[in-house]
Amino acid sequence: MRRTFVALLLSCVMLLSLALLAGCSGSQEEVANAKQEVVNLYTDRHYDTDQQLYELFTEETGIKVNVVKGKSDELIERLAREGKDTEADLLITADAGRLHRAKVKGLLQPVESKILFENIPQNLRDRDNEWFGLTVRGRVIVYSKERVNPSQLSTYEDLTNPKWKGKILVRSSSNIYNQSLLASFIALHGEEKAKEWAQGIVENMAREPKGNDRAQATAVVAGEGDLAIMNTYYIGKMLNSSNPEEVKVAQNVGIFFPNQDSTGTHINVSGVGLTKHAKNEENAIKLMEFLSGAKAQKQFAEANYEYPANPAVEPSDLLKSWGEFKSQSINLSKLGEYNSKAVKIFNEVGWK
Amino acid sequence: MLTIRHLKLNLNIWAVLSFIFILLVILPNLNIVLNVFNEPNENWNHIKEYLLKDYLVNSVILITFTGFFTIIIGTSLAWMISIYDFPLRAFFKWGLVLPLAIPPYIAAYTYQGLLNYTGVIQTFLRNSLNISVQQKYFDVMSPEGAIFIFTMFLFPYVYIITKSFLEKQSAALIENARVLGRNSFEIFLYVVLPVSRAAIVGGVSLVILEVLNDYGVVKYFGIPTFSTAIFKTWFAMGDLDSAVKLSAILMCLVFSLLMLEKFLRGRKKFSYTTAKYSPISRIKLEGIKGKLAFGYCLMIFSLGFLIPTLQLVHWAFLTYQSILSIRLLGLILNSLLVALFSSSVIVIIAIIIANNCRINENLLSKIYSKVTVIGYSIPGAVIAIGVIVFFVNFDKQLFWFYKMLNPNSSKLVLSTSIVMLIFAYTIRFLAIGYNSIEAGFEKIGTKFHEASRTLGMSVTRTFFKVDLQMLKPAILGGFLLVFVDILKELPLTLILRPFNFNTLATKSFEYANDEMIHEAAISSLIIILISAISIYYFYKVGDKED
Repeated sequence: MRRTFVALLLSCVMLLSLALLAGCSGSQEEVANAKQEVVNLYTDRHYDTDQQLYELFTEETGIKVNVVKGKSDELIERLAREGKDTEADLLITADAGRLHRAKVKGLLQPVESKILFENIPQNLRDRDNEWFGLTVRGRVIVYSKERVNPSQLSTYEDLTNPKWKGKILVRSSSNIYNQSLLASFIALHGEEKAKEWAQGIVENMAREPKGNDRAQATAVVAGEGDLAIMNTYYIGKMLNSSNPEEVKVAQNVGIFFPNQDSTGTHINVSGVGLTKHAKNEENAIKLMEFLSGAKAQKQFAEANYEYPANPAVEPSDLLKSWGEFKSQSINLSKLGEYNSKAVKIFNEVGWK
Repeated sequence: MLTIRHLKLNLNIWAVLSFIFILLVILPNLNIVLNVFNEPNENWNHIKEYLLKDYLVNSVILITFTGFFTIIIGTSLAWMISIYDFPLRAFFKWGLVLPLAIPPYIAAYTYQGLLNYTGVIQTFLRNSLNISVQQKYFDVMSPEGAIFIFTMFLFPYVYIITKSFLEKQSAALIENARVLGRNSFEIFLYVVLPVSRAAIVGGVSLVILEVLNDYGVVKYFGIPTFSTAIFKTWFAMGDLDSAVKLSAILMCLVFSLLMLEKFLRGRKKFSYTTAKYSPISRIKLEGIKGKLAFGYCLMIFSLGFLIPTLQLVHWAFLTYQSILSIRLLGLILNSLLVALFSSSVIVIIAIIIANNCRINENLLSKIYSKVTVIGYSIPGAVIAIGVIVFFVNFDKQLFWFYKMLNPNSSKLVLSTSIVMLIFAYTIRFLAIGYNSIEAGFEKIGTKFHEASRTLGMSVTRTFFKVDLQMLKPAILGGFLLVFVDILKELPLTLILRPFNFNTLATKSFEYANDEMIHEAAISSLIIILISAISIYYFYKVGDKED
């Protein structure tokens, strides 16, 4: 009895010293590596292929990429709290609204780079060049191939038509993709119209919003509703799922790009910004340029079945098979500007 | 003279250390709590008008039903395991703790994946038997489903604490009741429940706090509760003030529940009835009764552990080729080291504070014991932000010192290191360690301590020679709970980890968050395996103590 306790105590002490040792050796290493060029990255992308890209970047430039992954909201908050002492040089998030939030909080700084300006179209980057889109996704209508003829579909606005009562599936309003969608409507049509739209969707919902985007597609195939509002890349992910049933689900739904004759389909980006207090500014810009370039764009976009932001780079074959589409032309900064208004509208109309 | 003597009595090493630890727990939360008193803004009015009622109702429903069901399942199992003998009892004794090894958010994803349209069950019915089912009967993504998940994966808190109490404590009472002719059910109702009330409440408060803090399950299921609301206001509305106000309401809710229980319990105190305690002599259940007991345990064990684990194993087979790699080893090592180290720190601090509370019974020490709960009743993300602010300031104060050691030192040393994460774990999980150690102390009572003091040993010597020896099972119990909790912990690890630091939990979450639940299976399984092994190991040690 005594012995087990002593053993436990000893192992704790050993662990403690081990941890201390690790800490010390860590800092020594840092001193030794003072000359090693680095760039520090806060990102909410979690794809294993990203790591390969960073390694390729290190190979080409000798600059090591350090990564902290997290949820973008929390990374932004962390960045804000760390203030000018932050170690982060770049912030990558999966939504323009969030990049805008970082900008408004004064966490980013403008980047003047010919390469970036060439590679990234104007509407996919910040007005003041504080952030740049890297990959593009559409938020589209997904329909049951069995029960819906795509000729019945036209616009987002049409989804509020009483003929779709009890047919619409969409996730919770706490999701940023829905917030950005509504923000784009506020930007295009004003608050009142946007609220009417949200109200109309709530009235047509097939069930209380629940689950993620994939769950919406699954619910369409399971017959809980006929239409789902979701991001394009989830269909790509489901088609490549390890679960054959999920592949079947994806095969049984069609993708429809709404508003082709009017305002265009809502798009959003994942993008990158240089932090205001970046300590490795030059390296950071090099990485931004690298990620916007032809070589990286393909892999960066395809990791998540997205469209490359760089127009010179072709999307993958799968995405091409969905056809080309007209997208909303608003500057994506607006998505951030109208975000809190969108959240409030959702609450007011009772979109859970 | 008197004051010096007074000081000397109160100001021993225990009091000083406790004071320092408590201060460290409070400080990071202070700047958050201070925000509560800011003027309500426009957002707050919006929240009050449209959302608050929903949050309150949903949160109360979740904690009430989860609390109720965990008490029923937890105490009934604890009672059966300690009083009766039936097939496989020895296995269930620790096997029923295993659901704790599965993080609720993983369980939620797993059950949804199992039951939904593309899951094994519906696929089998559809493809092999050609039966299409109504989706609503297979829907776990509802408040009922959340209650199910919380109950099945949190009831072991009630079970562990109640069982260890019953085993050590109630033999004499139960045997007296038996001799006096009460049947088993009556004993359960009139003897066991009242006597083990403190233990049950201790367990259930942990359950309730876990439920109130849960973010993963309710977010995935789309149920608006306080924790989703806090995240939503803070991050989506960018309004920390209102988020903190919500946390404050949440804390009031928690504390009033705890106070209510204390009030109802009044001055009743239970400790060893005699110095010599003996284990209960168990009754062997024969025939159908034994089978029923076995069946009940098996059902709970299956729902809470076997089924989700098998499902994860199945998914692991589908994905292992793309997931297994050398990096996985690094993840395992990171998870283990950080969890072992942090739990040791937490248990040591908990012992110090609990011992201080016991020997210096005054208002201050009572406040201490309340403060330990703080970290557990504030959502993880809020703690994380408090801790970051605290460490960044701390680093600024220590900059001269860093420069002395290393002229090239950067300004942020501690706040970019693992120390910050361990510190945050300590704030968060101190309550768990403290709870089980306090219960341990309560069980021992003060007689032995007083005897030793009367015989001339100092407080500290008494602690090492007497108290610590008797406290070991409680210490190990606390260590186990904290260790497993840290292994599963998410929000703090996500926000506070240093560069390039990944654990099994963060990896599972990344996959699950990207809606790649199959890919999350392997790292989830490793978490479950390590937790299960530690539960087993600590159980064996705990058993030897008897």
